[in-house]
Amino acid sequence: MAIRKVGVIGAGVMGAGIAAHISNAGIPVVLLDRAGEKGGPSLAQQAIGKLLKSKPAAFMSRHNARLITAGVLEQDLEVLADADWIIEAVSEDLALKHSIYRQIAQVRKRGAMVSSNTSTIPLTALVKGLPRSFQCNFLITHFFNPPRYMRLLEVVSGEKTSTHGLKKVLQFADQALGKGVVHCNDTPGFIANRIGGFWLQCALLEAIDLGLTIEEADAVCGRPMGIPKTGVFGLMDLIGLDLMPRILSSLCSLLPASDALQEISDIPALLTGLIEGGYTGRKGKGGFYRLKISEKGRHKEVLDLQSGEYRCPEKPRLESLVAAKSSLQALLEHPDRGGLYASRVLLRTLAYTTSLATEIANDIATIDQAVRLGYNWRYGPFELIDQLGAKWLVGRLEGEGIAVPPALADAARSAGFYREEAGVREHLNAKGHYQESARADGIYTLSDAKLGAKAVAANAGAKLWDIGDGVLCLEFCSKMNSLDPDILGMLMQTVADLPKSHQALVIHNEGTNFSVGANLGLLLFASNIAAWSEVEGLVKAGQDAYTALKYAPFPVVGAPAGMALGGGCELLLHCDAIQAHSETYMGLVETGVGLVPAWGGCKELLGRMSRNPRRPRGPIPPVQGAFELIAEARVSTSAAEAQEGGFLGPRDRVSMNPERLLADAKALALSLAPKYKPPEPFVFQLPGPSGRAALELAIKSFHRRGLATDHDVRVAGKLAWVLSGGDQEGPCTETQLLALERAAFVELARHPDTITRVEYMLENGKPLRN
Amino acid sequence: MNNAVIASYVRSPFTPATKGNLRGIRADEITAQMLRALVAKSGIDATELEALYLGCAFPEGEQGMNLARLIVFLADLPHSVAGVTVNQFCGSSMQAIHMAAGAIRMEAGEAYLCAGVESMSRVPMMGFNPLPHPGLAESYPQAYVDMGETAEILGEREDISRAAQELFAAASQQKAAAAWKAGHLNDEIVPIEGPTGVISADGCLRPETTPEVLSGLKPAFRKQGRVTAGTSSPLTDGAAAVLVCSEDYANRKGLKPLARILATAVAGCEPEIMGIGPVWATHKALKRAGLELADIDIWELNEAFASQALACINTLGMDESRVNLDGGAIALGHPLGATGARITGKVAALLQREGKRYGVATQCIGGGQGIATVLERY
Repeated sequence: MAIRKVGVIGAGVMGAGIAAHISNAGIPVVLLDRAGEKGGPSLAQQAIGKLLKSKPAAFMSRHNARLITAGVLEQDLEVLADADWIIEAVSEDLALKHSIYRQIAQVRKRGAMVSSNTSTIPLTALVKGLPRSFQCNFLITHFFNPPRYMRLLEVVSGEKTSTHGLKKVLQFADQALGKGVVHCNDTPGFIANRIGGFWLQCALLEAIDLGLTIEEADAVCGRPMGIPKTGVFGLMDLIGLDLMPRILSSLCSLLPASDALQEISDIPALLTGLIEGGYTGRKGKGGFYRLKISEKGRHKEVLDLQSGEYRCPEKPRLESLVAAKSSLQALLEHPDRGGLYASRVLLRTLAYTTSLATEIANDIATIDQAVRLGYNWRYGPFELIDQLGAKWLVGRLEGEGIAVPPALADAARSAGFYREEAGVREHLNAKGHYQESARADGIYTLSDAKLGAKAVAANAGAKLWDIGDGVLCLEFCSKMNSLDPDILGMLMQTVADLPKSHQALVIHNEGTNFSVGANLGLLLFASNIAAWSEVEGLVKAGQDAYTALKYAPFPVVGAPAGMALGGGCELLLHCDAIQAHSETYMGLVETGVGLVPAWGGCKELLGRMSRNPRRPRGPIPPVQGAFELIAEARVSTSAAEAQEGGFLGPRDRVSMNPERLLADAKALALSLAPKYKPPEPFVFQLPGPSGRAALELAIKSFHRRGLATDHDVRVAGKLAWVLSGGDQEGPCTETQLLALERAAFVELARHPDTITRVEYMLENGKPLRN
Repeated sequence: MNNAVIASYVRSPFTPATKGNLRGIRADEITAQMLRALVAKSGIDATELEALYLGCAFPEGEQGMNLARLIVFLADLPHSVAGVTVNQFCGSSMQAIHMAAGAIRMEAGEAYLCAGVESMSRVPMMGFNPLPHPGLAESYPQAYVDMGETAEILGEREDISRAAQELFAAASQQKAAAAWKAGHLNDEIVPIEGPTGVISADGCLRPETTPEVLSGLKPAFRKQGRVTAGTSSPLTDGAAAVLVCSEDYANRKGLKPLARILATAVAGCEPEIMGIGPVWATHKALKRAGLELADIDIWELNEAFASQALACINTLGMDESRVNLDGGAIALGHPLGATGARITGKVAALLQREGKRYGVATQCIGGGQGIATVLERY
């Protein structure tokens, strides 16, 4: 029995966010909470309204809100009767939770699973006194905020929890919700918040103690450790300053007096003062940082930890930060206050984590995963220890007088916490042996494929990996995955060589972004020396490579996650099918740098628009559809939106779990492989100058309204010329359309305003509206 | 001579395009329901109708084919009633009335349904496939000028301040709200049955609006412009219709005419100041009726934009207290093809209600035209 309907009780931030994310999976949800005041909208109705406005967006498509039905717990309890999974997400009040469980027990259908989103209360306490039948279907599912974006799901199951029911929920969480499911022991704070709470508290106290500025602390506890640049103070602002002491006191009330967290559990007066003044972080008036809105616009201010006043942020200038660029170890060994701070915080956190290794989870790989997914660390604590060297760490801890946990001593005696053996990653278990880390069926990443393997082919920009069953995976390895002649060369070579030994190709990588587009630096270089034929050659090379890929005698599946912009988006549009991660942000953004898509992007998007049966008939709707997306450089904010916008078509699929993306893409490629025939070239019916005249009316109107600059008008005019078929009306072949793209690109590339835009983008990473 | 009279007037509720309650209902369906009600209300024997003249500004998609003929079927009118679709943009359904009046004068038929409709939700302005003549667009771009831009040009040329436009728009809202409150609109509205229930109220009104609120809106068509969404008529769904027949016929059949059609006119002007079109059309029509401006007691001047309406009021020297007594298109909405029938029917109805003698319905038309109808209370 699969999960086809979910109930969520409690429409607070977490409950509502969980409901929204379940709707993102296309599953109907009922969201129950109290009635509104004086006959006004119920709390659940209000929550749906807030979800629609939330930033970052809780819904992958605004339409998903329709999948959530709001209700009032006291009146509408029976709507839970056909729910397959009921999630309780009310406040951390055991009596309240128990009363809700008793109500659920009255209406839930046989076998329906019930879980609590508690972050602190142990499972044993939650199920105490409840009937056995209820306990059999009960577990803890602890989501992280915001549920759409934070992949961690901590799961605690009891002795009585039914294996079948547990599997059903976990499978749904993994495949439909895209969660990284982590099995935790039933201990206070589970995994991520136990370690994260210790780390944050330690970082807060040490920064005050050592007299670091907030900017310095965040610079040290951020990027050098593979931690998001929000560091510790930025993260506390996100979590909410008022939540910090609450989490800490609840943890300390449950932990034994000997726990290391107890020693650092004092709340500094500074923090208490901030909370009392309403400075609770981003949700309040500000926190350690705040956005100051003045006549000059919005700018960031930072709290001075000594004076308690806000001031302009300063770029941290610590020698240790320079040293950090060479290695994390160099930072931890540096004698300045940055180095001292880094070692005091990280060494203690790592020691604390290691001391908990057997208490909070079955194995260390689980702990690493929880911290990676729950706190967005690039490496888990044990992976960090391996980078530093377990022996080195033991030495440092001994030097600092910190007790060395037995697990760490084990690792120091062995080859670290992890090793790679015959293409398999193994971790050190509690008995001091290496064993393969357990994972859910079907999870297969490119990193897995690369373990112990050698690339089938490689150059400076791309690598080709064998991912089994006759499928190759092309991976970009250029800086930011920008597309350059090396990648184009690898594409051409793959098209020529793949059929000799393989049957299908997947284009995929594990970068934060699939690709942010073509390498603009090359274009700027050619422009600066007025090498216009080189510019045209670069454009032609991209068109040739993408065309070759499209008409290759084997199926090609693009598997993007993150941003797929400009040339990266164009590449995907040339694939037979796209298997996109749900968090895929696609867009043809060339107009932002004063250009038009010219690696076949105009052609392919126009083709998709022309073939869309839902678009009104006639020559203009496809042209107008493509024009609007490209001229406004619209980027989808999810794969669902890419489907609605027309970037993704009927053959394309979406994976919610990024760790399943490659396997899903491979399966899709294999499904296309038998009797594969390349697509027939498309002949467009284009309106010619009449269509261009129509688009130009819209451009002029935008210009008058101040929404388009003079150069925008020029660029959009060229785009209109390409998309309407140039100076001819009627049939237009793909080759003719590519020639139009090329001509428009080269003409625009020569314009000084375009060159200024390109320079600005390379320098600032954002578009200039000149 | 055979005089033409307006024998009855109805309209559907007007609701905002894409947001309002009529958005889910096709234009032909709205019109058919309304016409059934008109036939019943007027008491006419439908077998004696010559034709349905139907105005529509973007007759394509669901509004395509020969919409008028299809609506004859949909409204259960006899097959003998012809269907003619008329397009003169915003003037379409007033033009339909003119055509019927002309035909009646030359004794080509005695009774006509003259209606207009626009679902701006379901068929976009400019249509699905705008394909301007590229040569004309280049040599004479005014031919395709944006309507909002014409409102800006006219406002600038006639020096109509933003504040004056906002006062006018707020007054329109207040008049419309007062008319609803007083029940003045109940008689003309035909409730429309839709998939989600019966729609019987106008949806565009913003009775709470004040000039102060309007002064906070951003310009809609030019970066530094004076025209805002609040001083423009909204995109609207709706339909309107009148029964036009000969005076003889009405008397014979015991119908109760509202007004006699004295004269009609259309006129052209520069497309970029299309909003001034009513001035030239009104002059022509009044001359044909042998009347002076001062003779006119009731004016229905379509409010495409406040700037344009004020330009006409100022140029013609209208007494503003006689203009748009129950509010205008800024408050009620402007379903392009339907407006002509609404304001002509409204003048006829107001002449009766107010007990006045002469009235004029006039409006501007995209592309640089004006259209006007002079009525006398029956």
